[in-house]
Amino acid sequence: MLKTVKDIEDMTKSELIEHLNETVKPDEGSIPAFVIADPKIYDLEHRKVFMKTWIFIGHETEIPNKNDYMLRDLAGYSIIVSRNADMSIRAFYNMCTHRGMKLCRADKGNKSAFVCPYHGFNFKNNGDLIGVPLQKSIYGEELDKSTMGLTEVRIESYKGLLFGTWNEEAEPLDDFLGDFKWYLDILVGRAEMEVIGVPQRFVIHSNWKIGADNFVGDSYHTMVTHGSIAKLGMVPSATYSKMGYQIHSDHGHGLNLGTPNPDFAFPEELIDEYKANLTEEQFEVLSTLKNMIGNIFPHLSFLISHTKVKGQLISNTTVRLWRPIDHDKMEVIAWFLVEKNASEDWKRRSRESFVLTFSPSGIFEQDDTEVFTDITAAAKGPMPVMKQLTYNYTMGMHREPVDFIGPGVAYDDKFSEANQRNFYKYWLELMNS
Amino acid sequence: MTVEKMLANYEFEQWLYKEAQLLDDIDFDAWFNLMHKSLSYQMPVRVNKEGTERPDYAEDMFCFDDDIALLKLRVDRLKTDYAWAEIPPSRTRRFVSNVKLETYVPEHKASVNSYLLLYRSRSTDIHHDIISGERRDEFIYENGAWKLSKRVFIVDQTTINTRNLAIFV
Repeated sequence: MLKTVKDIEDMTKSELIEHLNETVKPDEGSIPAFVIADPKIYDLEHRKVFMKTWIFIGHETEIPNKNDYMLRDLAGYSIIVSRNADMSIRAFYNMCTHRGMKLCRADKGNKSAFVCPYHGFNFKNNGDLIGVPLQKSIYGEELDKSTMGLTEVRIESYKGLLFGTWNEEAEPLDDFLGDFKWYLDILVGRAEMEVIGVPQRFVIHSNWKIGADNFVGDSYHTMVTHGSIAKLGMVPSATYSKMGYQIHSDHGHGLNLGTPNPDFAFPEELIDEYKANLTEEQFEVLSTLKNMIGNIFPHLSFLISHTKVKGQLISNTTVRLWRPIDHDKMEVIAWFLVEKNASEDWKRRSRESFVLTFSPSGIFEQDDTEVFTDITAAAKGPMPVMKQLTYNYTMGMHREPVDFIGPGVAYDDKFSEANQRNFYKYWLELMNS
Repeated sequence: MTVEKMLANYEFEQWLYKEAQLLDDIDFDAWFNLMHKSLSYQMPVRVNKEGTERPDYAEDMFCFDDDIALLKLRVDRLKTDYAWAEIPPSRTRRFVSNVKLETYVPEHKASVNSYLLLYRSRSTDIHHDIISGERRDEFIYENGAWKLSKRVFIVDQTTINTRNLAIFV
C-alpha cells in the first residue's frame, strides 16, 4: 500500500519543498514524474532556478557592429542586448522607466537609441534617458533624468557565449561554468566561431527539463528514437552512440563525448587555428571526436554532430535553449555556429546538415519532439502524485568513474544516467535555496 | 489576361490541388514524382522587423533547404519503421488559394505564387496546428508534364507553432 500523499494543489510552499526532498532521489536513481509537468513546480523553478542562475542570451557575433541590438528573453522578461559605441555589449530590461511600456519590439536591428511608443521617452543604448518630450514645460526643472535610466542586466560571456542573470549575488560566470569550460573550449573556443543567420524557433508542448535531460545524458535513446538515421546510412550503426565518455561537473552541467572517429570531423585546413586555441589534450579530444552532446545547466543544450550527407561527411555545431513558456510548453531556440575561417563550401554544407538533422524539419529533431510531447502529457495532473509514479535513473550506478584526459567525473561509455542524476541533484539544491 | 493565361492559371491551380491531395493522402512517392531533378525546396526563417523593411525573412537560415537528394532522403525516411514523428501519420488538410501565375512560357517554364493554409491534427490530441504562408513556386516542363523546380515557402510565424516539420509545406 502506498502512503497517502497530499494533493500538490493543497501544499504550502514549504510542504512542497519537503515533498520534493522526500521524493526526488537522484542518488538512488529515482525521480518522481510529477516534477515534469506540475504548475506549482514550474512556478517554484522560475523563482529558484531561472531567477538565480546564469541564462544564455545569445552569441557576441549576432551583434557584430556598433549599435547592433537583439531582443532576448531572460527568465521570462524581455531584454535588449546591444553593442554600444565603445563596442562593449550591455543589456537592459525592455521596459520604459516612466510608465512601463515595452521599448523595442523587433527581433534585432541597428539603433543607438530607443523611443518609447507611449510618451516618447528616449533612451540611449547605454541605458541613459536622453530625451523627454516637452520636458521643461511639463516638469519644470524637477525631473532628474539621471535617476531614470533603464534597468541594467548583469551579463558576462565565455568564448562568445553571452549569459545574463537577474541575480546580483550569482557567482561569476567563470565559476559557474567551472571545469565545464574545458569542454566548451572545444565546442565554441576551438576557432573563431560565428553565428550564421537568425536562430530557429518553434514550440513544443513539452516541459523544458525533458530537453535538458535528453541532451545532458541520454545517448541511449539514439538507438531507437533515431533508428531511421542508421537505416539511411548517415551514421555507422545503431549502437555507435554508446562509444565514448559521459562526463559531468559541478552545477549540473554534463556532456557525452562520442569517440573514436576515424575521420577528422572539422575543416582540416584550420588545424593550426585549433592547435593555437586549444591545449594539446583538448586538441587530442577534438581530433578523434565523433559527436559531443551536452547541457549547460539549466537549459542550454549543445551539439557537435558528424554525419554523412549525400555521401560526404560533414559536421555542424549548434546550441539550443529549451525556453520555458509554461509547465507543459517550451520554445526551442536553436543557433547554428561555424568556424569563421572555414571555406564557403564547408559553411554551406554544415548549415545544410544542421537544417536536415536538427532544425524543426530536422530528421533527428522531429522524432525527439514526439517523445517529449507524450512524456509531458503522461506526467500531468494529480494521478502521478497519488500513485507516486517515478522514473528510473539507475543506469550505470554500478560503474566507477575512469581517468580521463579532461576534468570532471567521467565514465567510459555513454550509456549511463550519471549525468541526469547530477542534473537533478543541482536542481534539487536550487529548489531548496 | 489572355485566354491562354487563364487556362494556364487553371492548369496550375489543378496541379497544386493534386499536390495537396497526394500529401494529405500520404502518398509521398507520387508527390515526389512531381519534382524536377533541379529542385530547390526552401522555407526561410521569418523574422520580426521594426518597420516595413523587406524582406522580413532570413536569407541565410532555413527550416527546409533541400535539393532533390535531400527531399528523397526525407521521403525514404518516412518509409522506415523508425520515423516516430509521423507514426501514426498526422491528419493534414492543405487549403491552396490565391493562385496567381506570375510568368509563363508555354511548355517551357512558369512561376506561380499561391497561399497555403495547412491544418494538422495528431493522434488523439485535441490541439491542432495551423501553418499559414505563401508559396513562391517555379516549374519546368519536362516529358509532357510540369515539374516543380523551386519552392520558397514564406511562413507567417517567427516561432513555428507545431512540434516539428515532419510534414511538407
